[in-house]
Amino acid sequence: MKILIVGSGQVGSSLVEALHSEHELTVLDLDGERLREIAYAYDVKTVEANGASRSALVDAGLATTDLFIACTSRDEVNLVACSFARADNPRATTVIRTSNAEYVDLWRAGRLDADFAVSSELETAHAVTRTIGVPAARMTDVFAEGQVQVVEFEVDEDASPELVGTPLRSTRLPADSRVAGIIRDGTSIVLSGESEIRRGDLLVVIGSPKAAREWSAMIWGSSGDVRDVVVYGGGHVGTAIARRLCREGIAVRLIEPDRVRAREIAESIPKCRVFNTDGLDPAFLERERIGDADAAVFAMREDARNLFAATLARVHGVEFTVAIVHDLVATEVYEKAGIDVSINPRQVTSEEIARFAHDPRTQQVAMLEGDRFEILDLTTRAESEYVGLRFREMPIRGALIGAIVRDGKAVFPRSDDVLQVGDRVIVFTETSRVADVEKVL
Amino acid sequence: MSRATSRMPVRPDGLRIAVELRAALALVGTLLKYLSVSAIAPVGVALWYREPVWPFVLAGAIALVLGLLLERQRGDAHQVGFREGYLVVVLTWLLAAAYGSLPYLLSGEPQFNRPADAFFETMSGFTTTGASILTDIEAVDHSLLFWRQFTQWLGGMGIIVLALAVLPKLRVGGRQLMESEMPGPEMDDLAARIRSTAQRLWLLYVGLTVAQIMILVTFGLVGIDDRMGLFEAVSAAFATMPTGGFFPDGRSLEEFAAATQWVVAVFMVIAGANFALTYRALIRRQPRQAFRDEEIRLYLAIIAAATAIVAAELWAADFATGEAAIRHAFFQVTSLMTTTGFATVDFVSWPALTLMVLVLLMFVGGSAGSTGGSIKVVRHLLVGRILRRELHQTLHPELVQPVRFNGKPVDERTLRAIIAFTFLYLGVWIVGTAIITIDAAIQGPSLSAFEAIAATATTLGNVGPGVGNQGPMGTYESFSDISTLTFSCLMWLGRLEVIPIVVVLTRGYWRV
Repeated sequence: MKILIVGSGQVGSSLVEALHSEHELTVLDLDGERLREIAYAYDVKTVEANGASRSALVDAGLATTDLFIACTSRDEVNLVACSFARADNPRATTVIRTSNAEYVDLWRAGRLDADFAVSSELETAHAVTRTIGVPAARMTDVFAEGQVQVVEFEVDEDASPELVGTPLRSTRLPADSRVAGIIRDGTSIVLSGESEIRRGDLLVVIGSPKAAREWSAMIWGSSGDVRDVVVYGGGHVGTAIARRLCREGIAVRLIEPDRVRAREIAESIPKCRVFNTDGLDPAFLERERIGDADAAVFAMREDARNLFAATLARVHGVEFTVAIVHDLVATEVYEKAGIDVSINPRQVTSEEIARFAHDPRTQQVAMLEGDRFEILDLTTRAESEYVGLRFREMPIRGALIGAIVRDGKAVFPRSDDVLQVGDRVIVFTETSRVADVEKVL
Repeated sequence: MSRATSRMPVRPDGLRIAVELRAALALVGTLLKYLSVSAIAPVGVALWYREPVWPFVLAGAIALVLGLLLERQRGDAHQVGFREGYLVVVLTWLLAAAYGSLPYLLSGEPQFNRPADAFFETMSGFTTTGASILTDIEAVDHSLLFWRQFTQWLGGMGIIVLALAVLPKLRVGGRQLMESEMPGPEMDDLAARIRSTAQRLWLLYVGLTVAQIMILVTFGLVGIDDRMGLFEAVSAAFATMPTGGFFPDGRSLEEFAAATQWVVAVFMVIAGANFALTYRALIRRQPRQAFRDEEIRLYLAIIAAATAIVAAELWAADFATGEAAIRHAFFQVTSLMTTTGFATVDFVSWPALTLMVLVLLMFVGGSAGSTGGSIKVVRHLLVGRILRRELHQTLHPELVQPVRFNGKPVDERTLRAIIAFTFLYLGVWIVGTAIITIDAAIQGPSLSAFEAIAATATTLGNVGPGVGNQGPMGTYESFSDISTLTFSCLMWLGRLEVIPIVVVLTRGYWRV
């Protein structure tokens, strides 16, 4: 597939990283220095030009491109570039990145001519909200309009003893869910009824959102019901998170050191309680009982500040901490420091965009453990050798179907169920097997 | 705002005055000139009842000449800016009251033999207060009584708002002029142009007045209310829509039929509600959106609660039972809260709790953007929310909590202005009460503390009736000239919502 990417910032370069091996990429940007770095690291074509210039886009090969991605940091450039792409090459799939939630709403309402509009802020907010619903999760994603949730858990000391050390077939597991994979020492083990869960395993579960919460409770060792969240930082990401959490009915307290910005947020999110302070004053944490919050999200602009604030919050008793990553290295630092979940807005965004580079039948993709494992959401063809088979008869090939969506409703298959043509299946597999899975289904 | 600093008037001692006095006076002159036309209305009534016409003709002529003289000031209307606007409003209302008292003085009516009394009566008219110095209303000529009602009707929606609506030339500083005259902290714009907004407000006002006249006249014609003739119907409507309260009958609406009293009460509720909302509900046919307004809900809730308390006590104390208890309670509550001042019963003899509720209602007032006076419901609502926020912030010092009205955050400056207004209003009330009490102690009449408190509250709030001798069937005739003029000032301050007048009286206003 020929892909033209406008913008080589953090979103653009993570897209290049994810897509370069399988596709033919052209990257266009004004910043020659960044382009050179990309060109040295990956086998892609680079063009130093303005993305809002039609002639530059045509020169970069707009006419023959299959997928057009406008992901500069400037909304206006992305919109203009995308409208040129639409006019010159109506056949190409177009994707717009925007930082303005209003454009995403417009796109949903069909008022913005693009195949997909994605906002880093909104995607991050969704990711944080999903994570907070299942605090034990290392990673989670939803499929099929939220009917199916995929969760990656780390089985540690807190996990319920019933779960550990017994064969899966004789363990009482939450209804409407399947263990889709167990990753032990970095490799996926072949699952059967005899497989057992051990402490230190990474567990991939596919199930209904309710089942996901039950799993979380089994692994977290408490009810895991989150009602009260503190968000540090009222930037675009922080406010998007606060707004999203408020909509889920969660009580949100937001901490923003800038007085004017704090006032703006308090005005725009009526339900959110905004505090004008840096949140690093122990007296403040004590007075407001921040330690009693069920979770805290750190969305300040600097990773180091997030780490400091998160550590202080943990000292004061916050049990579940989520931090936003700006610099890639922060992911490791956060993990070592004991932050429960780290979320990288650029990775979340590029994942969303990368879906379009897959088989057109594939509706959605999520990546686990960097990009070593993937969750696919694809539709079965009539030619598939799996169609008409019972689940227990299916050959084991390092991939597992966790859920099917049939007539718009999610079904969590038992061993006697039969796969039918046109079923949407949610599959867990290793990244290296993605092409095989897409072939056989 | 003054464009030509070089043309600024220079006082003999060399100090510059920062106000374009001549331009302001010229505009006041124009307004007075057009206001003099209003003298034509009572002339018709005088001719019909075969009463002397010349007091009105002469008053109109004097106002016209004075207006023309002021207008000839070497001032350019374009120089009327932000500062001058206050002066224009303040002076126009003062001169309007002076002009309005001329027919009373010229008529030779013995009850108006003191000029201060005539001034009081006109100020009470234009400010839609409804307090009167008359002791025998029935003895006064029909044309003068009509003039009384007419001043209320003109003053209700505002002299300047009317001028903005009908005079094409007067567009300078229109919004500010209108905002200082149209009470309430914020106005919902009905149209993009200030002139169309003013026209729509006046059309709605005229429409509602006509509707009320027609209903009442029909009551008279079909025999529901035998006392109701055209003159009574017009008088009632001319004092209902502006929340005025004058009525050409010493017993107010006491002797009229229950149906008439209900109709007047309902129209008082409409008059005390925000006209922009009424416009929305009736003309744009969006009653649901209009009723979503937080102020109108609180306004109606206060009326309902106060009516319930008063009706319960009246019933328990056997002053009235059944429908009469509810009707009298609803009418008196509505009348005093919307600052109208009509009465269906002489409530001065009512029990203490009821009387206290009625006096407290004088401080509530109508809605913003209504013809009602006093502090206004929305300010109470916002002051309550400000206080609630202060309590929250005592516990959570870092909490940022915007005060909202109808879901929208209210600007902190507006909130400060509301607090300032509320305290200024109460301050003026206290000072006024002190002057009245001291003057009464020196020159009489003998006045109880409660009477003094109620009399100043009722004039400042543009309500009208107080308690004791100043009750709804009573009179302000017994006060000395000093007290009468103090009451007139309170009405003037209340109608223009205190701040424009106080601003003009500060030294800083006149300095650069």
